[in-house]
Amino acid sequence: MTTQAPPPQRVTGPQRWQEPLDAAMTDELVDRLLGVAPFRQMDPAAFPGSTPLRGLLQNDTRITRRAAGELLVREGEYGDTAFLLLDGRARVALDSLSAEAVGLQEGQARRGWASAIARTLATVLGPERSPETRRKIDARSVPERQSLFVQDVPGVLNEKRTATLSPGEVFGELAVLTRSPRTATVFAETDLVVLEIRWQGLRDLMRYTPAWRAHIDELYRTNSLRVHLRATPVLMRLNDDALERVAAAISMETFGSFDWRDVPPDPDAIDPLDRVKREPLVVEQGDPIDAALLVRSGFARVSLRHGEGRRTVAYHGKGAVLGAEALFAGAGKWETAIHAVGYLDVLRLPADVFRKEVAPTFKQRDRARRAAPETLPAQTLDYLVDRRLMNGAEAMVIDLDRCTRCDDCVRACAATHDGNPRFVRQGPTHNGLQFANACMHCVDPVCMIGCPTGAIHRDPQTGVVRINDSTCIGCSVCATACPYNNIQMVEIRAAGGAIVFDETTGQPLLRAAKCDLCSDQPTGPACQHACPHDALARIDLSEPGSLTALAAR
Amino acid sequence: MPLRVRTQRRLINTALLGCVVIGLYAWADWLDASLARDAHATGYLLYGAIGLLAAYNLRKKLTGLPLGSSRFWMQAHAYIGLATAPLFALHLGWRAPDGWLEATLAGCFVATFTSGVIGLYLTRTVPKQLARTGQQYVYERVPSLRSRVAAEAREAVLGGVRATGATTLADLYADRLHGFFNRPRSLAYAIAPSGAARKRLFGELTASRRLLTDAERRAAERLFALIRQKDDLDFHAARQGLLKKWVFVHLALTFALLILGALHGVLALAMQGAAA
Repeated sequence: MTTQAPPPQRVTGPQRWQEPLDAAMTDELVDRLLGVAPFRQMDPAAFPGSTPLRGLLQNDTRITRRAAGELLVREGEYGDTAFLLLDGRARVALDSLSAEAVGLQEGQARRGWASAIARTLATVLGPERSPETRRKIDARSVPERQSLFVQDVPGVLNEKRTATLSPGEVFGELAVLTRSPRTATVFAETDLVVLEIRWQGLRDLMRYTPAWRAHIDELYRTNSLRVHLRATPVLMRLNDDALERVAAAISMETFGSFDWRDVPPDPDAIDPLDRVKREPLVVEQGDPIDAALLVRSGFARVSLRHGEGRRTVAYHGKGAVLGAEALFAGAGKWETAIHAVGYLDVLRLPADVFRKEVAPTFKQRDRARRAAPETLPAQTLDYLVDRRLMNGAEAMVIDLDRCTRCDDCVRACAATHDGNPRFVRQGPTHNGLQFANACMHCVDPVCMIGCPTGAIHRDPQTGVVRINDSTCIGCSVCATACPYNNIQMVEIRAAGGAIVFDETTGQPLLRAAKCDLCSDQPTGPACQHACPHDALARIDLSEPGSLTALAAR
Repeated sequence: MPLRVRTQRRLINTALLGCVVIGLYAWADWLDASLARDAHATGYLLYGAIGLLAAYNLRKKLTGLPLGSSRFWMQAHAYIGLATAPLFALHLGWRAPDGWLEATLAGCFVATFTSGVIGLYLTRTVPKQLARTGQQYVYERVPSLRSRVAAEAREAVLGGVRATGATTLADLYADRLHGFFNRPRSLAYAIAPSGAARKRLFGELTASRRLLTDAERRAAERLFALIRQKDDLDFHAARQGLLKKWVFVHLALTFALLILGALHGVLALAMQGAAA
């Protein structure tokens, strides 16, 4: 009697697998990967049918070879892949390297008077410039991955502190898991082979392999936790010993979907009450306080029960400590509920450790100051969080009670961007304020994820999210990803003004355009500079106090 | 309770303006007492001030140059503009202008100054009126939005007719609503817009509801929303249009004033006679 094998189970893989990270990942390569650590120790049965281990490796990873001296990760850049070193040696620079050393141009300097006058004359006197002209039309042919090398490897090794990375070691995972800039530069010391793992795949590997998760968490604990704790205002007064004890007591938790852009921010699409219910609950109002929660990344909505729903009373981002006031006051229960807005990574510091190590470093007066409530009305907080506007670090807010609709802001923007304004003076309005459709240079810039050439990037000096025109290939990934529709795809024009078409497809060549905060202008943002009635301001909505200050002007 | 930043700024600027005006009078008295040509001195100062006020328009064109924020220029424009009134009176020597050129020039100044004051009032009041509507509209997009609303209204009514064959709502539309949706509003509305038409149409539509079929009632509900939107569009077009037309008038008067003032200055210098 023969036993028939069960028919293969047909399941639908995640949507991201429709486009594997690297189509060249063959079954043979996957088999070889399954034979090496750490995948050898992973239990395929622990993975669900929709995301099997083999599928993860086939679709969410790629194997790349890098030559000695080649850069793998640059400090300050955002990325969507982590790295597992398979063969060879790499070096991580513990000190920051200069922009020249890592092949970067220095941050774009502000123009002086001479160039400002030249640009103004060109705008005022003409001849009319063709809009959106690209200097290098052939930039479209930029390969998916450009090889960049550290300019002076021996010099770097002599002058900077570095650490060696050996086969089996993981790096670049923190930036991927917290969607933050890379904290260090890593380059190949010898010719090497690395496995790049897409962030979704890394999260799935961590979810279904506790040992792998513990390993990644341990890496964070070893490499970055102390830096984060030192940068947390509540913990700044701790001495080194106390900080060690706090670090040892901390555990990590994640709530919500890292890919929060999948849930539309427009609350008209989803009932606001339903939205709060759908947000993952971190802490329920009335639960006993067993820990203070340090926000590592993402946003938290703090709310109070009100009728059948909840009223937002505050929101917090990276660096906040939730529950500190209650622990200072000796409260036994959470007075508010906390939800993850999109996703939330927190460090859980047990209440007894907080009371023993942190509370004594604060005097009564300081505690009272910390507990001072925000003055923004609850409905405004609801509005900002429902639409995720609190993600904006440089949001354009227009006071409609002062705006005469003269459009001087739009004209100034056009005048400083070759005739094409980079924003639309429209957008959601609330309580006499308009949140215009201009790039907000978000705290969590989801538009940067997936850019194949790294054209969209955050300026490490200024924090401005910019698009490098010469490397933008017009793929629309950023424009599609922006949940606020603040990136437009515009046609590229030749010097004479004619639209440039792709020879192969016959379609117009496009490039992404968005507000660059006039980072090269001597005046700063031209829109704000041009507003005669003090109606337009660029403010950091991740800090509720900035909107309070705007209202108090 | 601490004063808001803008209130503090307004108080300080007003106090400064008062000091400047007092200083101007003291200066004119001193010129008069020293038997100097005070009309020449105040004339130069007045023309210089008007030139500075007009320079704000040039500043608006030079957005890329670090010439100070437009907000600062606007503040200076308002307070210097106010200061020109007493300076003008000093220059005239508190007498009525004589001669056609002087009278025209004085009339031009008064018109420009008055248009400035009206503009100040408009820029402080119209934004609040515009902000009260449910949606905000860009002026240039109003015509296309009006067309869309009119088309939707017609389609809603025709939908009601198609559903049941009843024409009660269609008759009301043809008689009372078609003009509202498709014709421009009156000049009186452009100057002083009111919600009277909206209220009247709401009343007529409400009164006719008991005569309508279910399908027509659904169409009528849609018409309520579209009447509101059309009225808001008209309101925005009227108020924003008023602000834009005011800027045009104020600028035209300013340039006329600059030209007439220059002519007046040349003639005054040519006719000044021998030195005192």
